Amino acid sequence: MSHDTQEVSSNDVHARGPLLLLLGSGLVWLVISGVLALIASVQLHTPTFLASCAWFTYGHVQALQETAFVYGWLANAGLALGLWVLTRLGGEALRAGNWVTVGGLFWNLGVTLALVGIMAGDATGHSLLQLPRYVQPLLLIAYGAIAVAGVLAWSGRRSETSYASQWYVFAALFLFPWLFSVAQVALFVLPMRGVMQAITAGWFAQGVFTLWLAPLALAAAYYVVPKVTGRVLPAYQFASLAFWVLIVVGAWTGGRHLIGGPVPAWISSLAIVACSLLVFHYLVVWLNLKGALGHGGAVMKFTSFGLLAYVVGGCADAFTSIRSFTVVTQFTYFTQAQQQLALYGGVSMLFFGALYFAVPRLTGKTWASAALIGGHATTAILGVLLLVISLGVAGWTQGQALLKPAVTFPEIAAATRPWLLLASAAYTVLLIGNLMLVVNFLQTLVAKPTASAATLFQATSDIKETA
Amino acid sequence: MKNGTLFFFGLFASLTLSFAVVLLANHQLGALTPYFDDGEGKAFPDRMPGVAARGQLVYRDLGCASCHTQQVRRPGFGADQTRGWGERQSVARDYIFQPFPQLGAMRIGPDLTNSAGRKPSALDAEDLMNLLYAGQGTMPAHAFLFNQVKVTGEVPAKALKLTGSAAPAAGYAVVPSEQAQTLVSYLLNLNTVYDYPESRPVVQAAAQAEGAHK
Repeated sequence: MSHDTQEVSSNDVHARGPLLLLLGSGLVWLVISGVLALIASVQLHTPTFLASCAWFTYGHVQALQETAFVYGWLANAGLALGLWVLTRLGGEALRAGNWVTVGGLFWNLGVTLALVGIMAGDATGHSLLQLPRYVQPLLLIAYGAIAVAGVLAWSGRRSETSYASQWYVFAALFLFPWLFSVAQVALFVLPMRGVMQAITAGWFAQGVFTLWLAPLALAAAYYVVPKVTGRVLPAYQFASLAFWVLIVVGAWTGGRHLIGGPVPAWISSLAIVACSLLVFHYLVVWLNLKGALGHGGAVMKFTSFGLLAYVVGGCADAFTSIRSFTVVTQFTYFTQAQQQLALYGGVSMLFFGALYFAVPRLTGKTWASAALIGGHATTAILGVLLLVISLGVAGWTQGQALLKPAVTFPEIAAATRPWLLLASAAYTVLLIGNLMLVVNFLQTLVAKPTASAATLFQATSDIKETA
Repeated sequence: MKNGTLFFFGLFASLTLSFAVVLLANHQLGALTPYFDDGEGKAFPDRMPGVAARGQLVYRDLGCASCHTQQVRRPGFGADQTRGWGERQSVARDYIFQPFPQLGAMRIGPDLTNSAGRKPSALDAEDLMNLLYAGQGTMPAHAFLFNQVKVTGEVPAKALKLTGSAAPAAGYAVVPSEQAQTLVSYLLNLNTVYDYPESRPVVQAAAQAEGAHK
C-alpha cells in the first residue's frame, strides 16, 4: 500500500460523524442478533428453553435474529462502507451528511420497532422480509434519506471513468428501494393471491442478497483489496461482465426454494438455470480478488475468508439447486447452513475486513488493540466454519432421514442433536468475537489521537500489521 | 460505464426484467378459479370456516411455519406420500382462498398440509390441545395459549383432561384461550381432499403408458 498523504483526507473528516453513527449502530445490532441467534439455536436442541414466553417462540426468535442481522447489522455497515467508498473514489467530500445522520436515526428506530412488532406476533412470515408491514414505509423513507448522499457522491464524482466499487455501491443503493417498494405493494398493499405471495417473497429475498447485500460487500472488497495489496486487479476487464451477470440474473434465482413446490415447474427450472449462470459471476470475482489470499494483516484475513465463502457459497447454491440434491437438502438445516455461509461467511466477513480498514481512516486513529483484532479474526473464522459445517451435517442427516418414512421425528431430532449443540457452540464463539470488535471500536473512538492524522499512516506501519 | 444515464437505465431494466418473471407467473396463477366438479355438483377448494381462517392468523403470528411446511411434494420426489402427508402433490389451486399461505421452508416437524386427513390416523381436537399445551419431543409446549382457572363448582367443558406431571394443581383446570381454540380449529380444517386435473401424477402415468408401448 502506498502511504501517500491522501490516506487520511479531509473528505474522511467530513464523513466521520454520519458514517461512524451507522457503523456503531450496526455493531449494536450485530451483538443483539448474536444473542438472539444463540437463543434460537438453543431452542432447536432444547425445545423447553423460553417456551413459556409467548414473545420468544422459536418462530419469533428466528425472525428476530434474521431481522436484526440483515436490517440492523448488514444494512447499517453496508451503507456506511458503501458511502465511504463512493466518497473516496469520487474524490469529493461527503455531501448531505446530515441526511445520512437523520436517515440513520430513523432507520434504526424502524428496526427497533420491527423487533418489538415481531415479538408481539406481527412478523410477515416471509424469509428476509419479516419486518411488520407498518414499519416498512418508515424504513423505505429512512433509506432514501441515507441514499441521497450516495447519489450525490456518484453524480459529483471528479473522474468520468468509474470503478467496479462504484458500480456495485450505486446499484445496491438504487436497487434496494426498487425491490423493497415493489415487494411491499405486491405482498401487503395489493396482496397477490395464494402461492404468488411465496413466489414474490422468494424474488425479494433473493434480490436482497444478490442485488443489495452482495453488491455492497463486493464494493468494499473491490476497494480494499487493491489498496492493501498494492497491485492492479488481474482480469479486471471482466469485472463489468461479472457485475452485469449478477445484476441481470441475480433475482431470477428466487424460485430455487420452490423446487418441487406448488408452483409451475418453469419457475424452479428458470431458477436452476440462473443459479448456474451466476457461477460465471463468482468465477470472475474470484479471479479479480484472489490476490487477497495469503496476504498478511487482519483486513486481508477477513476479506480473503469472505471472498472464499462468497464464491464457495455461490457454487453450493448452484449445486444444491440441482433436483437430486434439492430432494435431500430442501426443508432442512442445510438451507440454514447455506444462508449463514452467504450472509455471515460472505457478506459479513467482507464488511468486517473493510471496517477494519475504514475505521482508522475515518477516525484518524489506529485501532486501540491489536490483540482484540487478532482475537476477533480467529473467533470469526473458527465460528463461521464450525457453524456452517455443523448445520450442514445436521441438515444432510435430517434430509436423508426424512427420505426414509420409517424414521420418526424424535429419531431425527436425536440424530441431529449433537450437531445442533455444536452449532450453538459456534454461535457462542461468534458472539464472543463480535464483543471483542465492539470493545475495540469503542476504545478506538474514545482514545486520544496519538499522532497527527496526516503522518499516522506514513510514519507507522502498525496499521498494516494490525488492521 | 462512463455514461451515467445509460448505466442507471441498465440497472432499472435489469430489475424490471426479473420482476417480469414474477408478473408472468402472476399471469398464469393470479386468476386461478375454483374447479367445478360436475359429478359432485360443487366447486373445490372449499373456503375455510371463519374460526379456522382466524386460526391461520394465529398460526402465522406464532411463526409455526418456521418448523412446519404446508406443501406436499410430488410422488417420487421425497417421501411425502409414504409419510402419510398427502396422497397427491400440492398445487397452486389449493391455496387460492388463503389470505396468507403458509408454505414454510423447514421440516423440523411434520408437514401439515393434510393434518386433518393424516394417514393412518389424524390427531383429533383433544390430541391437538394436549400437544399444544404440553409439547412433545421437539415440539415445544405452548402453555401460554392456555389459562389456569380456579374450579368453582363444575369443571369447565373445555378444560383439558390432563394426567401425570402435566395436570394442574387440585382445584384448578387448564382451559384453552381463544387463540388455542381457533388454532386447533384451523389445524382440523387442513385437508386437501380433492384431486384436481393438474394434481394427478402425470409423470408416472406417462411413464407407464410409455412402458406399455414397448
